[in-house]
Amino acid sequence: MRRFFVLVRKELKELVTAQMLLPLALVIIMFVLLGNVLEGEMDRGREAQPIGVADLDGSVLSAQLTDALSQGNFEVVALEGVDEDTMAAELAERDLSYGVIVPAGFEAAVQRGASASVDTYGVVRSFSLNSLGQAETLNAVVGAVNDAMSSRLIAEGMPGSNPAVVKQPVANVEHVIVGDAEAQASVESVYGFITSQTTFIPIVLFIVIIFAAQMIATTIASEKENKTLETMLASPVSRTALVMSKMVAAGTVALVSAGAYMIGLRSYLGGMSGDEAGPFQSPQGATSAIQELGLGLGSVDWALLGATLFMAILIALAIAVILGAFAENVKAVQSLIAPLMILVLIPYFLTLLSDIQSASPALRAFVLAIPFTHAFMAAPNLYLDQHQQVLLGIGYQAIWLAVLVLAAARIFASDRILTMKLSLRRSR
Amino acid sequence: METEWGCSMAEPVLRVEALRKNYGQLEAVKGIDFAVEPGEVFALIGPNGAGKTTTLRIVATILRPTEGTVMVGGLDVASQSAKVREYISYLPEEAGAYKNMTGESYLEFVADIFYTDPTRRAEALARGRELTDLGERLKDKCGSYSKGMTRKLLLGRTLMTQPRLAILDEPTSGLDVLNALEVRDSIKSYARSGAAVLLSSHNMLEIEYLSDRVALIHEGRIVDTGTPADLKERYAAQSLEGVFAEVAR
Repeated sequence: MRRFFVLVRKELKELVTAQMLLPLALVIIMFVLLGNVLEGEMDRGREAQPIGVADLDGSVLSAQLTDALSQGNFEVVALEGVDEDTMAAELAERDLSYGVIVPAGFEAAVQRGASASVDTYGVVRSFSLNSLGQAETLNAVVGAVNDAMSSRLIAEGMPGSNPAVVKQPVANVEHVIVGDAEAQASVESVYGFITSQTTFIPIVLFIVIIFAAQMIATTIASEKENKTLETMLASPVSRTALVMSKMVAAGTVALVSAGAYMIGLRSYLGGMSGDEAGPFQSPQGATSAIQELGLGLGSVDWALLGATLFMAILIALAIAVILGAFAENVKAVQSLIAPLMILVLIPYFLTLLSDIQSASPALRAFVLAIPFTHAFMAAPNLYLDQHQQVLLGIGYQAIWLAVLVLAAARIFASDRILTMKLSLRRSR
Repeated sequence: METEWGCSMAEPVLRVEALRKNYGQLEAVKGIDFAVEPGEVFALIGPNGAGKTTTLRIVATILRPTEGTVMVGGLDVASQSAKVREYISYLPEEAGAYKNMTGESYLEFVADIFYTDPTRRAEALARGRELTDLGERLKDKCGSYSKGMTRKLLLGRTLMTQPRLAILDEPTSGLDVLNALEVRDSIKSYARSGAAVLLSSHNMLEIEYLSDRVALIHEGRIVDTGTPADLKERYAAQSLEGVFAEVAR
C-alpha cells in the first residue's frame, strides 16, 4: 500500500502542472466573466426601456395606451411632430430602440367597432437573445393594450358581464401527477425545476470524462515514449498498483476539475438565467408543488448519484488506460481517444434530447448497454424515485469497471504493454 | 552457503538457459544460454535486431520468455518476477525521466519505492546524488536536462539501490566523450563492488573497456562467448569491431 501511495504522489506531481492548471483556470475565469456579462445584459434587459411615442390622435384612448406602455416597463418619450416619414430619423437622433405611432382616428375607429391599428418600430442593432427579448416585451405590451381595449368594449357592449370570463370562459386548473403523488401545478413549471437541477450534470460529466481520459491516456503514451514505463515495469511495484495509481491520480484531478468547472458553469448559467442565486433554484410558485410531489433528493439519492458518476469516470479512465497502452506516442492519443468520446456523446445527446425508456427496444438496448448512459439517466430517475433502475445501473457499471480494470492490469502484466501498438500513420 | 536472496554463493547471479522469444511469427531469440557471475560485467553485442534488447527486457521481467529458463539469483523471472524486481535495476536504451519532476525528487521517488527504512533510504539517496554528479542541477526539473545529464541521472537511479544485477541497455548512447567516460567508470567501479552487470552496446571500444566477458549475438543466437582478448585471438582481429564484423558477415 505504501508503494501505491508513492506512485499516486508521483502521478499527481506529473499531472498537476502549470500547463494543466492554466487552461483550467482560464476556462473557469471565462465562465465566470461570461456569466457576469450575461447577468449584466439580463439586468439591462429588465430595466425600463425608452420608447418614443408619437400620439397623432391626442385622444383619451391614446393616452390610456401610453399609460399601458409606462406600466409595461417602458420609459415613454413623447415625440412631437413625428409621423411615419420622420420616425426612423427621430429614433436614430434620440438613440431610441423602439417607437410607436398612434395614428389620428385611433379612438374613433375603436368606438366605431372597427379594427384600430398602431404602428410600432423596432431598431435592430444586434441579433442577440436580449434584443429578441425586448421585441417580445413590445409585443406583450401591445397585447396588454389589446386586452385593455377589449375589456372596455365588452364592458360597454355587455353591461354587467365580467370581461375576463367572456374572454376566457374555460379556465385550466393544471394538475401534475408523479408516481402516486399529485399537486396543483403546471407540467411546465415542474419540468423547468427538474431541468434546472439536472442540466449541468451531463455537461460537467462529459467534460470531466473527456478531460480525465485524455489526461491518463497521454501519461501512459508519454511514459511509453520516454521509456519511463519500462523502468517502472522492472521496479518492485505491482502492475495493478501501477494501473490503479494512474487511475486514482487522474480521477482525483478530474474530480477537482469537475468541482472547479461546476463553479464556473454555475456562474455562467446563473448569468444566463439572470438569477443571482444561480440556476439551481426552484421556479417561483412551484416550490410547494415540488414538495407535494416529493421531487427532492435525499442523502441516499445524492450518494447514489455520486456513485454512478464516479463509476462513469472510473470506467472512462480504465478504457483510457487500455487505449493509452495502444498508443505508440503522445500524438496518437487524440485519435485513439475518439471512440471513447463517441461512446460518451451517444448517451449524452440521447438522454438530453429524448426519453430512453420510451425508445424502440433495439435503440433502448443499445443505449443502455453503454455504461455511461446510466450516469446520465441517474438524476432524473432519482427525482422520480426509480431507485431500482439506478441501482441496477450502478451494478452494471461495476461489472464493466471490474472487467476493464482486469483487462488493463493484464495488459500491464503482459508483453502487450510494450508490443501492442496502433500507429495511425501509414507504415513506411 | 546462501546469499540473502536465496541463491547459493556458487550460483551465477544470472543464468539463461535455452531462452526463446517469439513475437507472433517472428523468432527474436532462438534458444540462447549464458551466465553472469558476481562482480562480472557481461556484454551482449550484435547488429540491430539481433535480440539483445529482447533478452535484456526478459531478464528485467518486462517481457515473458516463450521458452527456456531465466534465473536471477536462483529466482525464476517468469514465476517469481515480483521477487526478482527487488534485486535488479534496468536502464533502457534512450530512456527519459519524468519531465515535471526535479532530479532530486526523481531520486527520492525511486528511494521511496525501494526502501521503508529511513537510514537505508538516505544512504541510497546520497549514493544516487554522488553517482549522478549533477550537483545543484538536481534541483532543476528533468525536462530542462541535456541528454547527457538525463543519462547520468538515470544511471544514478539504476545503481543507487545497489542491485545485485544491473541491466544496462546502451548505457552511454548519445553521450559526449567526457560524459561517456564518467559513466563507464561508474559502471566499472560498481561491478568491482561485487554486483553483476549485464549490458548491451554498439560501441565496441566501450565493450572492450568495460566487459569481462562478451557474448556475440546474431539473428537470435549466441554465436560465441569469451573475454574480449579470447575473441580477438579466435577471430584473428585487432579489435572487437573486427570480431563483430566477422560475426555479422
